[in-house]
Amino acid sequence: MALFTRRQFFSLAGSLPFAGALTRQVRANTRARVVVVGGGFGGATCAKYLRRADPRLEITLVTPQRQFITCPFSNAALAGLRDVASLTYTYQTLQERYGVQVVYTEATGLDPATQCLTLTDGKTLAYDKLVLSPGVELPWGAIEGYDVVASEVFPHAWQAGSQTLLLRRQLEAMEDGGLVVISAPETPYRCPPGPYERASLIAHYLKTYKPKSKVLLLDAKDSFTKDKLFLAAWKRLYPGLIEWVPGAQGGRVIQVDAGAGIVRTEFDEYKPAVANVIAPQHAAAIARTGGLDEGKGWCSVKGSTFESTVHTNVHIIGDAAIGNPMPKSAFSANNQAKVCAAAIVAQLRGKPIAQPALMNTCYSLVAPDYGISITAVYHVENDTIRVAPGSSGTSPLDAPDTTRALEAAYARSWYANITADTFG
Amino acid sequence: MNRPVVFPDTRNLFVLFAGLLSVPAIASADPISTRGATLAYACAACHGPDGRSQGAIPPLDRLSPEHFREAMHAFRTGGRQGTVMNRIAKGLSDTDIEAVTAYFASVEQSQQE
Repeated sequence: MALFTRRQFFSLAGSLPFAGALTRQVRANTRARVVVVGGGFGGATCAKYLRRADPRLEITLVTPQRQFITCPFSNAALAGLRDVASLTYTYQTLQERYGVQVVYTEATGLDPATQCLTLTDGKTLAYDKLVLSPGVELPWGAIEGYDVVASEVFPHAWQAGSQTLLLRRQLEAMEDGGLVVISAPETPYRCPPGPYERASLIAHYLKTYKPKSKVLLLDAKDSFTKDKLFLAAWKRLYPGLIEWVPGAQGGRVIQVDAGAGIVRTEFDEYKPAVANVIAPQHAAAIARTGGLDEGKGWCSVKGSTFESTVHTNVHIIGDAAIGNPMPKSAFSANNQAKVCAAAIVAQLRGKPIAQPALMNTCYSLVAPDYGISITAVYHVENDTIRVAPGSSGTSPLDAPDTTRALEAAYARSWYANITADTFG
Repeated sequence: MNRPVVFPDTRNLFVLFAGLLSVPAIASADPISTRGATLAYACAACHGPDGRSQGAIPPLDRLSPEHFREAMHAFRTGGRQGTVMNRIAKGLSDTDIEAVTAYFASVEQSQQE
């Protein structure tokens, strides 16, 4: 005799915990709603690869601006090697080719219990899966005196756009012999090699047009990514033009007085012609709502799915996530977006999740024909991300100029390819 | 890399395998949840969408599966010197190399159809 009749089985099944999973699977066969917040390398890539994986999903991208200006290669724009227009992308392809609905507004609130996102205008968006890729914010006051007004005098230029243009204008207006101060924050922050590439390319501009000037790089840290490569290249390409002051030697910027044009460290006071204050950062506001960041400023995630460790059905990718040992880079965001998209589609279908492939490669330009790189492949075990043995490393210190030139060409090619992969 | 490489049987196997893998693509969805796809998507960040590179980084979409597989093994052993590829290849297993080779073979096959 059977233990259950068919009717009894389904009646029982409806009351069991896996009923939720069954419901989700049914929705996957109809039109599951995935909302992606943030239109940068993480969010745009995720929306695109979700569509590539599933033609039936209802995908909405929430992003504040109609155009996205990339931080990668914005240092080249500061040095006059590119214009900002060449770093600007729209969501036209995502909308027209990939059927992603794009909403140009900000997400201001989140209710993980009812799976609802609130937008600036008070409207709400219900989701089955939410992906947050909002990037970073620079909290005003993290350096005393550094607020929105001060950022118009001492730009951070760490979110590309008007800040990039402002810093470029200041560099152009500066007289030969001027002092350019760049302050670099403590880890973690967006784009670990960024401040050092910036110092390099500004030095390249100064060497070419204003050779009596100097770059003073005030650092909260005592070491940085690719530091041996950068320091050796500076000595050779820009002798006497870049001075790096590590934290232990008083490099940490603790206060600015934008009105008086002053930047202060623990020991010294500077009155530079141009100051670029790359202030400390944390995840953008939406990723710090509902306890997602547990007060840490960044969000813990499971390495195989990039789902929050705090709330189910909320995934966090890119700079806002703690993806350690992956760096906060455009490459990481683009890569995590694909892993996250694959995991979401698998979860919605009730299928097993493929072993994620996580990688990062960051190129930095020290000069237009001088590139260096850092690379790693990552394995995920029990949702923890680890560097695959033997895969981590940088360009060799003793590489010939031909290799540096090749890596500079690869850096430009990487930019063309990753932006095509993300926005094209 | 200039020595002739002969793979008398695998080409046909690849065409067959590629044909099998390309079925989901015809159904207008990527096999996103396979290890090969997830690896190939990581490659795309440098080598371009589906390996179609712009600029100096070598494209992958025009490589034969045999050439691709052999290059990956040569990067891993150091028999071929690259820039970042020696390090990346060291992070991949034999199974990974086979999976990503099969994925690119399937893309190549579906583009020919």
